[in-house]
Amino acid sequence: MLTLIRREIRDNIVYFIAAVVFSAILIALLTAATYNLDWISDPAVYVGLSIPMLVILVLGFSAMGVTQMYIDRNRKISAFLSALPVTRSWILAARIVAGLLAILTVLVPLTIAVIVMGRLIAPPIPIFAGYIADILTTVFLMVFACYCLGLLTGWTANKIAPTFGALGLNIVLVSLVFVKGFGPDIKFLLVLVIVACLIRTWHKFMSTSL
Amino acid sequence: MRSRPKYPIQVLAAGFLVLVFLSLSLFWARWVCKSILVDNMPMDYRTVNITASELFPAEIESDPNVLRHSVVHAHIIHPEAPEALGIANYLSEKALERYHSRIYSFDHENKEAVFVYFDGRTGQINCRWADFEKMPDGTLIRKKVLFYVGPEGVSEIPDKKLGRFNPVVIDFGSTPLILYDIKLRRFFAINFKDRIVTKGPQLSEDDPHWPVDIGILSKNPGVLDIYWSSPDIKTSQNHKDKALYSIAGNILTRERNSDYDSDQYVLVLDESGRIDLLDRETLEFAGPAGRLPAPETFFPADKRVTPDDLLAYRVLPMALKEDHKYRGLIAATVSREGTALALSVFDKKGACFESEDTRAKNSIGNRNVPSSSAVFFGTPWSPAITIGKFLLENLHPPILSMASYFTAGSIEAASGHRAMFLLPNSFIAMKGRDARDNIAVRFMYALLLMSPSIVLAILLAICLGKDATIVGIPRKTRRWWLLGTIAFGLAGYITYKLTRPKITLVTCANCGKPRRTDMDKCHRCGSKWDVPELTPPAWRVLNG
Amino acid sequence: MNDNVIKIENLVKYFDGRCVLDGINLTVPRGCIYGLLGRNGAGKTTIIRILLGLEPATRGRTFLLETESTNLAPKIRGRIGCVAEGHNLIQNYKVERLIKLCKDLSLQWNDESFDHLMKTFRLPKDRRIKDLSMGMRAQLNLSLAMAIDPELLILDDPTLGLDTVARRQFLELAIEVIQKQNRTILFCSHILSDVERIAERIGILAAGKLVVDCPLEQLKERVKKLRIIFPESVPENLYLTEIINQQIQGREMAITVANWNRQKQAILETFKPSSCTEIPMSLEDIFIECTRPGAETVEVA
Repeated sequence: MLTLIRREIRDNIVYFIAAVVFSAILIALLTAATYNLDWISDPAVYVGLSIPMLVILVLGFSAMGVTQMYIDRNRKISAFLSALPVTRSWILAARIVAGLLAILTVLVPLTIAVIVMGRLIAPPIPIFAGYIADILTTVFLMVFACYCLGLLTGWTANKIAPTFGALGLNIVLVSLVFVKGFGPDIKFLLVLVIVACLIRTWHKFMSTSL
Repeated sequence: MRSRPKYPIQVLAAGFLVLVFLSLSLFWARWVCKSILVDNMPMDYRTVNITASELFPAEIESDPNVLRHSVVHAHIIHPEAPEALGIANYLSEKALERYHSRIYSFDHENKEAVFVYFDGRTGQINCRWADFEKMPDGTLIRKKVLFYVGPEGVSEIPDKKLGRFNPVVIDFGSTPLILYDIKLRRFFAINFKDRIVTKGPQLSEDDPHWPVDIGILSKNPGVLDIYWSSPDIKTSQNHKDKALYSIAGNILTRERNSDYDSDQYVLVLDESGRIDLLDRETLEFAGPAGRLPAPETFFPADKRVTPDDLLAYRVLPMALKEDHKYRGLIAATVSREGTALALSVFDKKGACFESEDTRAKNSIGNRNVPSSSAVFFGTPWSPAITIGKFLLENLHPPILSMASYFTAGSIEAASGHRAMFLLPNSFIAMKGRDARDNIAVRFMYALLLMSPSIVLAILLAICLGKDATIVGIPRKTRRWWLLGTIAFGLAGYITYKLTRPKITLVTCANCGKPRRTDMDKCHRCGSKWDVPELTPPAWRVLNG
Repeated sequence: MNDNVIKIENLVKYFDGRCVLDGINLTVPRGCIYGLLGRNGAGKTTIIRILLGLEPATRGRTFLLETESTNLAPKIRGRIGCVAEGHNLIQNYKVERLIKLCKDLSLQWNDESFDHLMKTFRLPKDRRIKDLSMGMRAQLNLSLAMAIDPELLILDDPTLGLDTVARRQFLELAIEVIQKQNRTILFCSHILSDVERIAERIGILAAGKLVVDCPLEQLKERVKKLRIIFPESVPENLYLTEIINQQIQGREMAITVANWNRQKQAILETFKPSSCTEIPMSLEDIFIECTRPGAETVEVA
């Protein structure tokens, strides 16, 4: 299993490098925004910064999911791996773990930076209590859900379906943040969407010919 | 490779995804229709004015020099209620000194300033206060003190003996801070300066008072505006200059002037929609002050509304600067859908003496049509958009539409604007809240409203049934699919299409109809397998 | 213990409404070298893909090492070596990386044997797979399959793209595997001379059916091609069953018959032919006869 995960990471190293770079950029922007603006800003500023970040994260990781599955399907990588002592479940699980690690590569340093920044500059009252945990958790779940959508739509020989299909579905799914906010509702819904996507992906991957 | 993982699980997974994406897409489509409808609402559909209010002293209101009597004015600012969307609602709830905020006071310009906040872990209110200490040489030194407040008192160190506040309702603007503990069922007044906690009497279990808001009574204040316009009085001075000056400075309203704090009473909103007066000193109820008026909706709903039934409300108590005596209040409310506004004026005893709704002029020019009806049919293009909205609502799964009918009154108004699966603001839900007619008539009307949805579901179920028969899906499974499609409509049909077994069908040599290749016998005529296109030789060379 | 390493029960496969396999039943016992033959599109690769679990069967079941193909556990897969048609390897990997991947994933790996093969084939480790020739890919594929000391070796046209020398090396390798106890090989190839050299048992697919499934020697005994000269004209009906093919030229008839036995011999003799000589057939000749479309009676002018 570790070998398969290492293989996935190495094959998708571009996304991991992009994740590190993007995380660094975000931390730099966050630091600059925190020290340049008033030390407690209008939440709208953070929302304004968050939206393009969310869009890039969502599209980026959705593209990663699509790429992983599309390349596998068209280069018959799983067909080759299936001849080795691995199961299709392991191949898919390793793929998902790699995707998860890439997402965490962006979000974990960012979370640490936010917590550190909060400790350094926040007033001695819980102004941001709940905000950080809610927003970061929702972002993580949203990005992972879009990644899972990418996995679901990418398993095809067609070029158009994964591109526009994933894009369309991602746009609709991201709009859920505007509808539901960052509260427990959206987290619950996103968890269910993730589970449903993974079940559908698993079924498609397991039952189609390689 | 497994050929058929658990079928019901994959159907449920696919069905859930279809439901989420379809619901979201329909949500935004309905949102666009609703936004266009309400944006097109002319100002007079959204505005109510009440003149000659008796809250102002009669000697002034009846002055022969009055050029324009006092007017109470309310209007809907944002009928599309962007605050009701989840993201705006979340951010506004967490904002400082807002209704759900736990931070009651904080000066964010100054890190060293006073703060007051509720610590959920300890259940106590933490406060940093600036005391001034007089030194021997007469100079005053500012000294910061941190202390903790519980139901049992105040302490400079955290102390469990102070007790624990449970979920509280706070009057942010008052001094001392007045709060109501929902679990302890009593009011508290906290004087931070003197470090005194005053307890009010405990309300008994059968006490009809169940406060949900204190002090500045408002919900989604960005949705509507309400103000008192004092009378314009002609004076010799201003008449000579051909300019008019009003005597606005005498009128105090709660939100605009902190001088009002010295008044005797605080307003308390009950969960039933009643507004009561609370004595600041005794922390006891001092009588009714009024109630939230019920806006006239598309299908007339119950005349008594609760805070949860309203998208927005604002209540302003009235007093004069000279005596700070409570004289009454004005209350404005916006209906669930954001298309109707009601304004009422109550005197100091809580009796309503003026009340008005938003209305539109009909073709004769009389203001007879409630704005909640006029918005759908009274403006250009609105009939077409209303029909569009109606059809979009009918694309929603019938079972969820029916659930919307039955749960119509129980969903909080603002959260109804961000509901995806249930539709509390749909025509069918509005019918569910209709106070007229008996249950049976109401239900039949609701079915009529749902008829396009039901027809669509039945047609889709018929198509599905035919396809399922061709594909040879077992009868029991087919029944579940039919029921599911009738219940979930388009979502059910799309789910079927996505999860339908991808089976090759070939023509049966016996009955001539399509048959499944993965079955030994034809699922229609029962004949055994035959592949006429292949002509293998008759001979075999087999071992044994 | 069931000694059948490969078992196929009533296998049916459709591709988009077109039947490719129509009720295939096949068993391959342990230690057997089974040559599966058929024309292009007969379904050989399909059977192998279904056996390996890469393709779902429309109907029927297949078993490898007593495990159903749809549920092959890694431990079972680890005992199977496979050389697929087209040498499907990960194209953008370097050879070295691919070798490391296979080695890390395998349950057992014979470094000595693998290194020996790599030296024999002289495969460059620093080149990308897509930059290798077809033959080199075949050699690499073979080496990877052999390195795990497989209990069952499935070869689908393994010598495709190999030059003569490489083909000979491969055959020698295969023989080396054969000599190991209890090793089983399922072997598909269009180069029937190679199959004839190593296979013990032969299966021939035609029109979706397994028309031949028996030991090679038995096949040669049971399928006979005879050249018969009749004194006058060739009889209209010889009353012989299981005629694979017949060609008539004047008084002369060339007939290929399946399951030749004394009874058929006796029937033929009743027609008192002037001469009856057996034409020796190689496996290739038998294959050509067996896979001609339908039993033909061809009159040659």
